[in-house]
Amino acid sequence: MDQKVIISIRNIEKTYNLGEIKVKALRKISLDIQEGEFLIITGRNGSGKSTLLRQIGLLDWPNRGQIFLDGDEVTHLKEKHRRKIRHKKIGYIFQEYALIPELNAIENVMLPAMLIEPTKSCKPRAIDLLKKVGLENRLRHQPKQMSGGEQQKVAIARALINNPKILFADEPTANLDSIAAGGILEIFERLHAEGHTIVMISHEQDEKSYASRIIELRDGVLL
Amino acid sequence: MKYEFKIPFFLAFRQITRGSKWTFFLIIFLMAASFINLVFVSSLFKGIIKGSNEQVINMHSGHIMIKPNSGKDVFENRDDLIEEIEKIPNIESATTQFEIGGNLALNEKSGNWIINAINPDEEVKVTKLFDSMISGEYLKSGDREGIILGKQIAGGDVAELDAFSLHANVGDTIIANFNGVEKEFVVRGIFNSKYMTVDNTAFITYAGLESIFPALVNQANTALVRLIEPGEEQTAINQLKNAGIHGTFYTWEDAAGIMNSVTSSFLTIDFILSFVATLIAAVTIFIVVYIDISNKRQQIGILRAIGVKPYIIRSAYVIISSIYSVIGVAVGAGLFFGIIMPYFVAHPFVLPIVDATLAIEPGDFIFRMESIIIVSILVSLIPSFMITRIKLLNAIWGK
Repeated sequence: MDQKVIISIRNIEKTYNLGEIKVKALRKISLDIQEGEFLIITGRNGSGKSTLLRQIGLLDWPNRGQIFLDGDEVTHLKEKHRRKIRHKKIGYIFQEYALIPELNAIENVMLPAMLIEPTKSCKPRAIDLLKKVGLENRLRHQPKQMSGGEQQKVAIARALINNPKILFADEPTANLDSIAAGGILEIFERLHAEGHTIVMISHEQDEKSYASRIIELRDGVLL
Repeated sequence: MKYEFKIPFFLAFRQITRGSKWTFFLIIFLMAASFINLVFVSSLFKGIIKGSNEQVINMHSGHIMIKPNSGKDVFENRDDLIEEIEKIPNIESATTQFEIGGNLALNEKSGNWIINAINPDEEVKVTKLFDSMISGEYLKSGDREGIILGKQIAGGDVAELDAFSLHANVGDTIIANFNGVEKEFVVRGIFNSKYMTVDNTAFITYAGLESIFPALVNQANTALVRLIEPGEEQTAINQLKNAGIHGTFYTWEDAAGIMNSVTSSFLTIDFILSFVATLIAAVTIFIVVYIDISNKRQQIGILRAIGVKPYIIRSAYVIISSIYSVIGVAVGAGLFFGIIMPYFVAHPFVLPIVDATLAIEPGDFIFRMESIIIVSILVSLIPSFMITRIKLLNAIWGK
């Protein structure tokens, strides 16, 4: 069965101006990401992995090239429209967990859904997602009361709350010990098995075994 | 769309109830201090103005002062005049005075001052001069030799014009000279009314005056009136006129003279200081909110990244600032009315012109409460606008 291309990028270039110095972070990157794929982007520090993820995750604008999401060009959309797409179609998992410290696990997870539906409908879903990532005993804990691994699980549940088409994870295990990291990767593996499309940045050699495809960047060029 | 309206309230209440307690108390303390700063100085000025006005009424003019019409020097029958005045409703009491210029001398010292002849029994019903004696005693009716001196005439440490005074003490005999007619008076007492005009006046009894000028029997050239309900001066004046009392009528405000310009200056200073206090409050609140928001820059970036609209984030901070300012103002008002005001009522500021307590009108107080709340909401908008306008990636990175 032919798999649908969910994200397509064509000749993406990104240059950062650091004073008088211009750093070419991405050089004419083209890539198709299939629906249901677990893609790991790897490469050395400064190779452009995170920059690439931010372009396709609509957190930043490329200098050149095109980005298509679900067949629609989204390259030059204004932030207002990008925000809508991020909210409905994309789930993010950041390296630093990025939870709201004053909210408990359930509230952190259901926050993106609360923008578009009543609390009574999204709260049970948030609880289900937290149970799914193994946090049934941490539902009402605030981030400061949880370990790094648990916080990252909350972040994964939050990324899933609006049933996104694609999950982006920027080195989600970088701050975790091996046991916690293993738990997170198992969740990603399960999500992949359920049909979720995942794009993840990783340094770790052993994490690559979870991927359905691995791409490597070096000096802003796709190898 | 309809569900997102509750998000600012949700975020605001969670931040307040689950955020840092120290930050919460610090912000409330700053808000309360800003509010007290805004209210205190104004209340002090209002207290000084209120005290000064009471000085004018209690020491100088009563609520209404009546002088003979132009062309006439005196009221011919002061007893009848008082009787007629006191018939008017809302008039508590009236008294008369005979004001005359004279020279007072003691040893080598002498000077020209106003000497007021009074009936002490009537006078105490209108003025409170009897309550401001700093040595000796008040006059008694029928005392033909007694005189009481204002502190500026008697002199001493309490007198600002000591150099020009008689340096008199209770019991001293001083010589009063009225256009060449002399009489000796014994100083019965010295008073400090804290009202310069009155403190430059000496008081004798009608009996004393009439012992020098028998022709002045039952005459007066000033009548003072005390009202039951202050504030109804103009109505009382109309009633007095309608009752056939002839004279030129002055309210206590007309009679205040220099105190009017002092009051006017205080009001101007109050306005300027209130403006500055509001500005300081605005800057303080801005800094506090700015630091609070800057510390949450990354968190705000995350909220934006997961789809929360900037207006929701701004609204959350406006709600937080509103709650902080309302609580801060409530705490400030509680401290002001519960501790500060009672303390200064019990321990007034002793000033040369008045013993001032704190006074504030309800309308003014409410206006200042509203001002600080509105200012805090407006200034919190600035940092929240700034933070939601920076590039999303910079916000996420906490830059």
